[in-house]
Amino acid sequence: MKKYLWVMAMAGAAAVLSLTGCGKSAQSDGTAASSAGSQSADSKSESQAKSGGQAIRIVNGKIEIDQPLKAFAKKYQEKTGQEVIIESLGGGVDINGTMKGYLAAGNMPDLFVFGGEGDYQTWKDYMTDLSGEEWASQTEFGFKSEDGKTVGFPYAVEGYGITYNKDVLKAAGIDPASLTNYDGFKKAFEAIHQKKGELGLTAVCSVAAESGQMYWSTGNHLFGYYLSGGLKRGDTTYIDQLKSGKTDTERLGQFADFMKLLFDYSDKNTLISGTYDDQLALWAQGKTAFITQGNWIDPSLPDYSVKFECGIAPLAFTKDEMKGVLADCPSWWAVYNKGTNIDACKAFLKELALTEEGQECLVSDCGMISPYTTCKVSPKTPLAMSLKTYVDAGNTYSWEWTKMPEGISMNATGKVFELYAKGEIDKDGFVNMMQTAIADYVKK
Amino acid sequence: MEGKAKKITTYLPAAIGAAMICCGLYFDFYNRDFWGRGPLLAGGLLLLVISLYLVPGKKHRAMVNGLFLLPLIGAFFITVLIPFIFGIFYSFTDWNGIKFTQFVGLKNYGQMFQAPDYLYSLLITFLFTVFNMVSVNIAAFFLAILCTSGVKGRNFYRASFFLPNLIGGIVLGYVWQFIFNKVFTSLVAGSVSMLTSPNLAFFAILIVSTWQYAGYIMMIYVTGLQGVPKDILEASAVDGAGALKTLLHIKLPMIANTFTVCIFLTLVNSFKQFDLNYAITNGAPSRILGAKAVASTEFLALNIYNTAIARNRYAEGQTKAVVFFLILAAVSLTQVSISKKREVEL
Repeated sequence: MKKYLWVMAMAGAAAVLSLTGCGKSAQSDGTAASSAGSQSADSKSESQAKSGGQAIRIVNGKIEIDQPLKAFAKKYQEKTGQEVIIESLGGGVDINGTMKGYLAAGNMPDLFVFGGEGDYQTWKDYMTDLSGEEWASQTEFGFKSEDGKTVGFPYAVEGYGITYNKDVLKAAGIDPASLTNYDGFKKAFEAIHQKKGELGLTAVCSVAAESGQMYWSTGNHLFGYYLSGGLKRGDTTYIDQLKSGKTDTERLGQFADFMKLLFDYSDKNTLISGTYDDQLALWAQGKTAFITQGNWIDPSLPDYSVKFECGIAPLAFTKDEMKGVLADCPSWWAVYNKGTNIDACKAFLKELALTEEGQECLVSDCGMISPYTTCKVSPKTPLAMSLKTYVDAGNTYSWEWTKMPEGISMNATGKVFELYAKGEIDKDGFVNMMQTAIADYVKK
Repeated sequence: MEGKAKKITTYLPAAIGAAMICCGLYFDFYNRDFWGRGPLLAGGLLLLVISLYLVPGKKHRAMVNGLFLLPLIGAFFITVLIPFIFGIFYSFTDWNGIKFTQFVGLKNYGQMFQAPDYLYSLLITFLFTVFNMVSVNIAAFFLAILCTSGVKGRNFYRASFFLPNLIGGIVLGYVWQFIFNKVFTSLVAGSVSMLTSPNLAFFAILIVSTWQYAGYIMMIYVTGLQGVPKDILEASAVDGAGALKTLLHIKLPMIANTFTVCIFLTLVNSFKQFDLNYAITNGAPSRILGAKAVASTEFLALNIYNTAIARNRYAEGQTKAVVFFLILAAVSLTQVSISKKREVEL
């Protein structure tokens, strides 16, 4: 019977050890599987998952800046001895879902990314007040809570409109400064279209409107111009209207006319079945003159050996003049208020925002524009430089589209754009369908 | 006296073990940060198990059997049963993925059926299930006949037909998306990708799904066909039955239980289809349905995923998931019971 005791102890140990495999903290390279809704509140596995100790953990949402951030973290550790672990999620991974999984498992990071008002409503009970920080008074891009406290750390300003190939425009005899209203664009498109052959273009514009993977380009970015293009920063007229289920028919009509113009002069295949890479490749290889993406494509330009000059023009869909571009913070970092390293996080954020090395990292290495008025570092990439001229001149509009109900572009408006791009509905059909889609989505 | 002392030494470890587990679970709920939580639970479980040995009786063998099953059952319990029960519970509340604030009863269930995209999703999933079942089973059956006939190299055929099943759904989807968008459009000059038309996109997913799953089902049919008793085949050959007659009247009835299994597998697999749907089209292209735009190839699993994750409506998604389970359970149980009646008992 001694044999049985031995066997039972082994079996018992096997049963217990099999449970210690669960609950490892996620890898730091965007391969975290979303386990939204994991009900492990009473499971034994999270006993292994606490990331205790001195290191602070940041969940970053921009996978493009993962490497520069890690390099900066290493330098920071050499300088202050504080270890910083950067975990970057992106490229299609559902960030919110992953974070909800972390919260349920008791594995919440010290600093986490959130993308605007929708995310703020989900996470507001877990954010620390950062209004007293030095950098909070040096930027107008910090994310403010409902009672005016700064809770979001801004790390970059991004902007977009219609990005153009300056060399092609010059060869066609078009001045980029004339691209400030509907008629200016119409003239430019027609002129370039006529000279398509001699300029070596396949089409005038590179736009992607497929609703499965590019819904964000049309439903979020382009539609963002309808919501706040031409208005003062923080003017929430149209977004408030949208949140109550209504739209401004006249303005939407002008927007629809401009969209039709854009779609008519776009490369057909990219428009209805192209991916982000297809759209970018077409413009970067010089086959089109315009592309509807923003300054975030800067880091990808060297991959295509881009040699031509380029800049960003406003998506001026109105008959009136519109001289600014939509520029704002794409996401913010919040400090988890139940974490154990809040002061260390605040020190790290201060280092990133106010010191020269921090700004070098964000501006030069990551290719972004600083949201801080005290920043002395200038960007070196073409689109970032173009964007900076707008930011410095105060010619920017805020990103009200981030306040739209979550998932509206993927589930409602993106599809309407696709139908319009394929020509299955006309302008009135587009306006009506957008109105119905928005009203239905908001109602639920 | 001695009896009492013996009783204490027998039951004390078990009591301590059970107490430790209870403490551990208590800390799980109320004080997550307590470092001793893990050791408490693990140590308690170990002690309890060892103490079972001390209990007098002849059931040690059964206990060891149970212990070896414990990891598997434990894992199943934690990853499938508990989320399932919690899910049903959450579908009656207004859960948002982190916490719930109130019970809403059956409101989620009522609301769910009013959304046109969900009803369309139901319809298109049923259509896909029917088409997929038919095409996969026909393709697999013919492939199985090919592999069991005397043709040369049939082992090679068997392996290569099975290969597509080994490629993961998401990767397969993206590769085929590339084929549909880029390869086919350049082979047939001037054509538009199949994935931009609502009806053709449906057939595109059907083609890929058949290609992937037919090999797996073919293996099952091959096993079934090879299991037909040789003496019956000899008897029918003696009686002068040709190849076709043998197939239709002898082999088919004998592999009725294989049909049960295969139809059940294809039914469940098509209904739950997510990987290919997500990777190939992700719901696109859109089509106009009564003056509204709906995603034309959004099957039920993708619809649930979008509701919960993309739209951040976890309670509604959970409700749809519960209904999904009910539909699938009802349909597959019905199918299995009907098929079983037609099986021939050997």
